[in-house]
Amino acid sequence: MGNYRANLVICGGTGCIAGGGAKIRDAMQAELAARGLEKEIGIVMTGCNGFCAQGPIMTVYPDGTFYEKLTPADVPLIVEEHLLKGRPVEKLMHKDPVLKRAVPAMHDIPFFNLQVLRALRNKGLIDAEKIEEYIARDGYMAAAKALLQMTPEQIVSEVKASGLRGRGGAGFPTGVKWELCARVQGDVKYILCNGDEGDPGAFMDRSVMEADPHVVLEGMIIAARAIGAHKGYIYVRAEYPLAVSRLQMAIDQANEYGLLGKNILGSGFDLDIEIYQGAGAFVCGEETALMRSLEGKRGMPIPRPPFPAVQGLWKKPTVLNNVETYANIPPIILNGAGWFRELGIEKSAGTKVFALTGAINNIGLIEVPMGIPLRKIIYDIGGGIKKGRQFKAVQLGGPSGGCIPKELLDTPVTYEDITQTGAIVGSGGMVVMDESNCMVSVAKFFLEFTTDESCGKCPPCRIGTKIMHGKLKDITEGLGKPGDIELLQDLAQDIINTSLCGLGQTAPNPVLSTIKYFRDEYEAHINEGWCKAGVCRPLTTFYIDASKCIGCGACARVCPQKTVSGEKKKPHSIDQSGCIKCRSCYEACKFGAVKIGPGSLKQKLLEEAEAAKGVSE
Amino acid sequence: MKGNVLVVDDEPIVLKSCERILGAEGYSVSVAADPLKALEMLEAATPEAKDGYDIVITDLKMPGMNGIDFMRKLREKDPTLSLVLITGYPSQESIRDALALGIVDYLPKPFSPAILTGVAERAIEFKRRRASHDASAGGGGHDEDEMAAKLDTIIQKYKGKPGSLIPVLQESQELVGYLPPAVQRHIARGLNVPVSEVHGVVSFYSFFTMKPKGRHNIRVCLGTACYVKRAEEILQKLKDRLHIDIGEVTKDRKFSLESVRCLGACGLAPVVVVDKDTHGSVNPVQALDILKKYEES
Repeated sequence: MGNYRANLVICGGTGCIAGGGAKIRDAMQAELAARGLEKEIGIVMTGCNGFCAQGPIMTVYPDGTFYEKLTPADVPLIVEEHLLKGRPVEKLMHKDPVLKRAVPAMHDIPFFNLQVLRALRNKGLIDAEKIEEYIARDGYMAAAKALLQMTPEQIVSEVKASGLRGRGGAGFPTGVKWELCARVQGDVKYILCNGDEGDPGAFMDRSVMEADPHVVLEGMIIAARAIGAHKGYIYVRAEYPLAVSRLQMAIDQANEYGLLGKNILGSGFDLDIEIYQGAGAFVCGEETALMRSLEGKRGMPIPRPPFPAVQGLWKKPTVLNNVETYANIPPIILNGAGWFRELGIEKSAGTKVFALTGAINNIGLIEVPMGIPLRKIIYDIGGGIKKGRQFKAVQLGGPSGGCIPKELLDTPVTYEDITQTGAIVGSGGMVVMDESNCMVSVAKFFLEFTTDESCGKCPPCRIGTKIMHGKLKDITEGLGKPGDIELLQDLAQDIINTSLCGLGQTAPNPVLSTIKYFRDEYEAHINEGWCKAGVCRPLTTFYIDASKCIGCGACARVCPQKTVSGEKKKPHSIDQSGCIKCRSCYEACKFGAVKIGPGSLKQKLLEEAEAAKGVSE
Repeated sequence: MKGNVLVVDDEPIVLKSCERILGAEGYSVSVAADPLKALEMLEAATPEAKDGYDIVITDLKMPGMNGIDFMRKLREKDPTLSLVLITGYPSQESIRDALALGIVDYLPKPFSPAILTGVAERAIEFKRRRASHDASAGGGGHDEDEMAAKLDTIIQKYKGKPGSLIPVLQESQELVGYLPPAVQRHIARGLNVPVSEVHGVVSFYSFFTMKPKGRHNIRVCLGTACYVKRAEEILQKLKDRLHIDIGEVTKDRKFSLESVRCLGACGLAPVVVVDKDTHGSVNPVQALDILKKYEES
């Protein structure tokens, strides 16, 4: 690597690549070459930076200027102004959605400066495809310490003392899991990594695997040493092709450097790691199901005990941890359990990565100390709700989790406090919903998911979720009956009590939590035939409130059916007979003049229009 | 005239309704109450002559001769004839035998007029293509042998390794495009596992498909972030436009449609992926614009 006076760090995560990140790099290379700057200014393509919604993004070092939403056309301007004349280009910088001004440096953007990066410590800094860059950031130091200076017992006790809990969802103490397996006698043991991130709305693990694949390998080496395993598998979703290729590259490099394979770093310890591509089944996030899948079978869970730590893959003692859990291991070994506990609280130590998405300004990947209130995440880091709308709920834990309403926004993010609300911390999906989201429809969405993904082994899960989904579908289509809510609650309890694995035991959570906090919405659907968010079409009528309409015509312009009409500067109206309830007018109106009424209103308005026509004729 | 159809069934009501429905669509419809009579009629009409039949729609259970044997006879006589089997008693065996005869479709009774006219349209198209194929080239047996050899290479690579079934299926799907029963049987034989186990795995994982894909495969993400940003509407619009449901392929094989459970690109929600191109922040109102780029090729 040469010495450059400036380095351009371009994000190469899936989000930015999809937005044209590679084109930015190519344009930049061409531009620098054209101006003879290629020896002065370096370009680094990193893994996911985390601020995905603003992609493609680029940071200029050493000053740390952060540019977002770049197009190849912006490249010459940046080179000319910033790199040659030293004048950063304000119009390409991040605009603070609250303060409405440009923020030049990445470390001043609230999205970044409230985060504490531990598992993601290398995100957006290193070239994921170069092992040297990982090593330069203390990479494999922890593995060396674990292999050369510590006994397996010391590793286990350090991890136990740190209080690290499994980041995949269930929150089982990692050290305890390792200890169980380490105690089992056996010559063949397996160490597995779960990269089958299945929760819709979650992309933490994908980003770690793409941005920092070596940290996963290092975590696995340490764990393998602790339990005495010499063979490891990383189970990755086939939907993550970039993660698969970067991990493979990392494994090849580590083998070449003697960090994997026989006699690692001269310690006499052997470990081989292979990638196994999952074939798309949510239930394979469950550990026993994942092991069946690795064996080449249908991924169906089996009863525990025996626990995988005793009898796992091919009936041998096995430890399975999630990607983010492994990313936390090397710093614990290097800095000690005490350092890890400096952040978080007693029972939920350290930091947690979340994928912040939905109706929020700053969509992206964040890492925060545990115990931080939800409000801080959503309003300070997330920058609040989009389009100035009202916050309605935040969904945590995906199909196994629940929705937390605004009254509980001060809940600290810890395993226990979040579980209290009826949601779970889960793997880290955090989907924010605003007033335009219908909670019954959200519950239906999750149940549709679990109905589809239930492996079919246990009838309560296989049949119960289907019945619940059917009921929810009825309610959203205007076929709900009084008593449906109670029936749903009753069914939910039975499914929770009688299912074998985590999928069935948690599948009803989205329904229970939405009934708990948004019962009024269910009741409005059933009793009034009214979806107040305007999502369930049979239960919605869009109409224009003449007293609020200023006649700007924005609604008429977006209407695909051309059913909105009216003279300029005079109140418009919607012809109900042609309205397909697409919401376009509602979204377009800046004055709140387009209103959402109950489904039955449509008929009433049609009759009124008919009567008015009769009078005028 | 759209084409000549011969309907063979021992139930007069079926003959009558087929005549009425297809007649109204512009087909010339002839009927026969039993297979022997039908064979006579076919004998009388030479394929080259104007009154040759394009489609034969036949019942399965009939007096004198069953539908399968009847179709076998027809095949011997004219391999380009489009055959459709209708039956009140669908069974695995009859489906298998009928498929082996290269039928256009298999319709369990009762069926709606729309289904019947749809099948007739396809059958005419089939006949046309078969005729032109026969004229232009010989059979495709070489391709099949070549495919089998390639499958064997994949199987050999993994044979004997524990847990190899899923990787073999993944690579085979990449090679063939999908996993039809013949490929599953081939893999089962190669890896020495029961076909039921192979099929169990294929049907369990959403990654595996038993249906062929179109030239352009459209995947609509239905993850939570995309869902709250109206991905469902996008999917509906695509379905309406292409006239296919999830997991299906358009008649011209240009597009196939799939839904996926979160691509992990939530920052770009809602996301639609066509082949390898990711389209982010798709506006549901303008969702169909995405197709434009692919429609020409």
